[in-house]
Amino acid sequence: MKEGLFFIIFLIVITSICDTISQLLLKSAVNSFGFSTRGFLKIVKSMLKLISIPWVWFGFLASTFSLLIWLFVLSRVELNFAFSVDSIHYIFIAIASRMILKEKVGILRWLGTALIAVGIILVTLS
Amino acid sequence: MFKNKLTLKIFLFLIFTDILETVTQFCFKKSAAGESGMDIRTVYDVFLFVKANAFSPFLWAGLLSALLIFVIWSTILSKIDLSVAVPIASFSYLLIPIVSIIFLHEKVTSLRWVGIFFIILGVVSVSVSTQEKANIAR
Repeated sequence: MKEGLFFIIFLIVITSICDTISQLLLKSAVNSFGFSTRGFLKIVKSMLKLISIPWVWFGFLASTFSLLIWLFVLSRVELNFAFSVDSIHYIFIAIASRMILKEKVGILRWLGTALIAVGIILVTLS
Repeated sequence: MFKNKLTLKIFLFLIFTDILETVTQFCFKKSAAGESGMDIRTVYDVFLFVKANAFSPFLWAGLLSALLIFVIWSTILSKIDLSVAVPIASFSYLLIPIVSIIFLHEKVTSLRWVGIFFIILGVVSVSVSTQEKANIAR
């Protein structure tokens, strides 16, 4: 293993940010029209409408970049370590949901986010 | 108006995505493990790394599973807040270490299990806050 642990964690943070961007773009896209889930045909129709929205493709681009870095991370460290540290995206999503999507994030939810952060620190120390 | 209501059906779909997520990550790890000794310094090295992964059937199996997750997610996200949907779909934090131990022969130390416990506890807290919100709405 030539790369240091902090570099690997830094890369996991990058993939998490990319995933958060991708999720936000997807969520805004789904919010922008009435995504119908009544029946298989309507789901397919909604899917086609979804992929016709340009910013959904920016989301795919962010996901692809994230996947590339993720594969590199997995080639260097154990899966259970990488996946646990990847839970850092919850923190990014909570912040982004609050700031960009204007969703309500209550005290208990912030507490949960803090517990996740403690968990990540413990996993990193082990 | 009832967009944030967590129904049993949505819950089960989220659990199903957990299983798919575990399958995806297992496949990605299997694909990437082949390149563990590869030293990446130049752009050409990146190309070689991508090429090696692209020829692994595990990568494509993982991508197929990820695509299925995407389809289910797109449906779920239209029914529920992102900050609610994401945390519930996180039992994979327990599933993945178990699969890692059994199929990848990885070791999970006690301290790491404690860390994973905290992560899951955090996820449960976030899920409980969903009910709190539903009660307020009522």
